[in-house]
Amino acid sequence: MRVLVVEDEVRLADNLAAALREGPGFAVDCAEDGEVGEQLASQGCYDLIVLDLMLPKVDGLTVLRHLRGRDNATPVLILTAKDGTASTIELLNAGADDYLSKPFDLGELIARAKALIRRGKGASHPVLAVADIEVNTLEQTVRRAGRLIDLSPTEYRILEYMVHRPRVIVSKRELLEHLYDYNWEHHSNVIEAHISNLRKKLMADTDQQAVETLRGRGYRLVADPESA
Amino acid sequence: MRRHSLSRRLISSVLLVELIFAVAIIALAAAYERHAHLRSFDIMLQGRADSLLGAVQDAEDPADNVMLDRTGLQLPAQDVYEVRDSSGRLLGRSANWQGPDMHNLAAGDGPIYNARINGHHYRVLALHGLRVVDPGDKGGGTPRRILVVYGAPTAQVWHQVRNAIIFFSLSNLVLLIVTGVLMAWLLHRGLAPMRQLAAEAENISIHRWSFQAPESAAETRELAPLASALTGAMQRLEASFSQQRRFVSDAAHELKTAVAVVKSSLQLLAMRQRTTEEYAAGVEVSLADCERMEDIVARMLTLARAEHSSGAERLSGIFDLAVSAVATTQQFQSMAEVRFVKLTVTASEPAFVSLSSEECALLCSNLLLNALQHSPPQTQVKMQLQTETNRAELRVEDQGDGIDAALLPHVFERFSRGDPSRSRNTGGTGLGLAICKAIVEKASGTIALKSEPGVGTTAVVRLPVATRPPAGGSQRFDLQTTPSA
Repeated sequence: MRVLVVEDEVRLADNLAAALREGPGFAVDCAEDGEVGEQLASQGCYDLIVLDLMLPKVDGLTVLRHLRGRDNATPVLILTAKDGTASTIELLNAGADDYLSKPFDLGELIARAKALIRRGKGASHPVLAVADIEVNTLEQTVRRAGRLIDLSPTEYRILEYMVHRPRVIVSKRELLEHLYDYNWEHHSNVIEAHISNLRKKLMADTDQQAVETLRGRGYRLVADPESA
Repeated sequence: MRRHSLSRRLISSVLLVELIFAVAIIALAAAYERHAHLRSFDIMLQGRADSLLGAVQDAEDPADNVMLDRTGLQLPAQDVYEVRDSSGRLLGRSANWQGPDMHNLAAGDGPIYNARINGHHYRVLALHGLRVVDPGDKGGGTPRRILVVYGAPTAQVWHQVRNAIIFFSLSNLVLLIVTGVLMAWLLHRGLAPMRQLAAEAENISIHRWSFQAPESAAETRELAPLASALTGAMQRLEASFSQQRRFVSDAAHELKTAVAVVKSSLQLLAMRQRTTEEYAAGVEVSLADCERMEDIVARMLTLARAEHSSGAERLSGIFDLAVSAVATTQQFQSMAEVRFVKLTVTASEPAFVSLSSEECALLCSNLLLNALQHSPPQTQVKMQLQTETNRAELRVEDQGDGIDAALLPHVFERFSRGDPSRSRNTGGTGLGLAICKAIVEKASGTIALKSEPGVGTTAVVRLPVATRPPAGGSQRFDLQTTPSA
């Protein structure tokens, strides 16, 4: 999952990015002002936007309105230092999905971030299941047919992303966009290597292929193992 | 404190004046009525006495006496009279007068006098008349002197005077009542704009500052100054209140953000087990975050102190700005070197201003810090202090990229940042220039920023020179300090 943090206080942005990378293992990009934030957010490769309200150039609320005006449905978590129900109502009406008052708890921020991403992808329960594959997004564990499978962080992230999109072909490009931040050198063969490892690990005990490769188009999580 | 009503006072004073006039009018009217009625009464007395005199007839006796022939005489029953001839012989008297010689009642010399007869007030006329007996005889007859004393009760006159007084009193009373009611009604109507003004003022609260004087009040000449004064005062209050509120909200935002940084740094550190080195680095980062927060708090307090110092504190210190300028420049030399900026100071003459040494230092350091933060490498920052007879001028000039003309009016506002994204990174809190402004205004000076985008910014502080240098005096700086960058 890839998160955009728009926050002008550099130290806070750094801490947020570090926490989101270390905790749930998201890819994180940071923007220091509203203008850059809006530009990045408009690319649509983010699964969540963490948006500060008081921003240089363009303020957070305006950024949010612009995004929603352009039908960008990325979940938005607002960071605000303002109190009062009036501003909360205004935020939610402008299309915010959730908000946190500064100073906030990092643990809470991460939990809310996870919940927003999950709901943004249409899942309500933190444990996702496709066929006999079960992904627990809280513990970050994967089971196939009840058996725990040990995955590397990147493999887990790929699987988690794909579990959110069962029966859909996920391109390499999409995976790159959603799993790596801008500091990453893009090499699509990295994805291939991880997919291959993931497939092997998921295959460990069964002969059922879990990840299907569609040449030139991408990958698909097989929803019904019988048909694979 | 007892409240008093303006309308009541006005009405009662008007009524009092009217009452005094009414009493005077009644008194005058009574006097006139009495005079007029007595005059006509006297004429009536005269007439009746004349008719009595006319009734004196020749008695046709040898002595040529006279007699009173009362046939055909019609005189009021309560009147008293007595007719005597010159010898004092009684010719006739009214039935209701049994007393002695009536003429003895006369009190004074006048022909008319007042007397008390049968327990009533009477007005009595003594008429000396002449009656000629046998005028047909030779020699023109015999003249007989006759004295007619005639009295009539005055009760009727007094009754008429009393009626006149009652009439005047009643009409004046009606007038007073009508005036009172009419005035009360008119005043009530006339003061309506005032009540509307009060009602509008009543609506002012901490949440609703807007005050629009009602048109009725603004159109009333007497109320217009009050209405416009209130409107103006409310606007100023609202402006100052909203500025305060903005400051509090900005300050809260700054502090909350600073706290969020510290908190998140520590929570990040506690997220999982880390190595000793990681912990040490984390603690160091957290300490730096704490120091930033401390700095923000200290600056806010400085600003609050500079803005809210009392009158006594205002006159507390007099200090040489030149000393501060030179000392501060020396302090900032190392920072300038790190940024490859050449920092120079020119302060040849002492400039005593009404500020304490801390305030002078704060002013110089904030201006210098601002200039240095906006100076790209290989440029120059100049601090110049010039003293005239009664004015000191401090200029801090940088060759940075300047401030956008649209932002220039807001630079002295608290928490304003010329370019927020940049000054955050350079450690600005947006309070420096606000502190400078508060300090300068405390010493009755002015501060202005001139900026040309791409060329540089110059801060100009003008301060009045304090007349009385402190007893100890201060060092003179005759040298031009130009430390190498």
